[in-house]
Amino acid sequence: MINFEAAIKALTEAAVEFVVVGAYAAVAQGSSQLTRDLDICYKRSPENLKRLATALDPYHPRLRGAPASVPFFLDQRTLSQGMNFTLETDLGDIDLMGDLSGVGQFPEVARDAVIVPLHGVSCQVASLDVVIRSKRAAGRPKDLAALPELEALKELRVALKKDKRDDR
Amino acid sequence: MDVAEQELLFELVKNPPTGSKIKAAKEFGVDLTLNLRSLRLSPAERVQEMESALKFSEQLREGVQRISE
Repeated sequence: MINFEAAIKALTEAAVEFVVVGAYAAVAQGSSQLTRDLDICYKRSPENLKRLATALDPYHPRLRGAPASVPFFLDQRTLSQGMNFTLETDLGDIDLMGDLSGVGQFPEVARDAVIVPLHGVSCQVASLDVVIRSKRAAGRPKDLAALPELEALKELRVALKKDKRDDR
Repeated sequence: MDVAEQELLFELVKNPPTGSKIKAAKEFGVDLTLNLRSLRLSPAERVQEMESALKFSEQLREGVQRISE
């Protein structure tokens, strides 16, 4: 199981620019899902790639599911040559998304992200709209199965906002 | 979230409008009462609850594994 607290703190302390996406973001937005991994969308600037690699280095990032014989070293160069990485680390499973299906890269994902205090640090978390768009675009059965709940959640939140407006 | 807002959401979940996503989710089998509860919490509280539930399920899994060994 992933140590969310340590993972988020490691990324934040290294000043990595990222947005939490996926099921963890869905939970922050009100979903009742459970997730065992942390998905982040990271900014693909050279400085940020370096910070990201440095932040994860102490936790021995390796390609999830790949045999130990497959050479892998996560550094700025590796990150710049790839886009999305599914990693296993000493902290647990972390997915690094340079490009989020159906949404785009960091600037698009961060545009309407919300700042949430998580484990004592301020963290950018993807909006519910972004989570829905990415899950719909990913199109895997598990993503599609999550959509009815997320779309209902969106309607509930819209109803709340409308109610607040009507009160004014 | 105040009581009036809680009542509004509860009514929407209890009697969702025809053609709504809320109705579709209920028909899909989603228990939206869990979401009603979650919406009363802050985002930080929601992830803390999820992490606690995950830790508990992991402890349960380890316990079952120990018994079966």
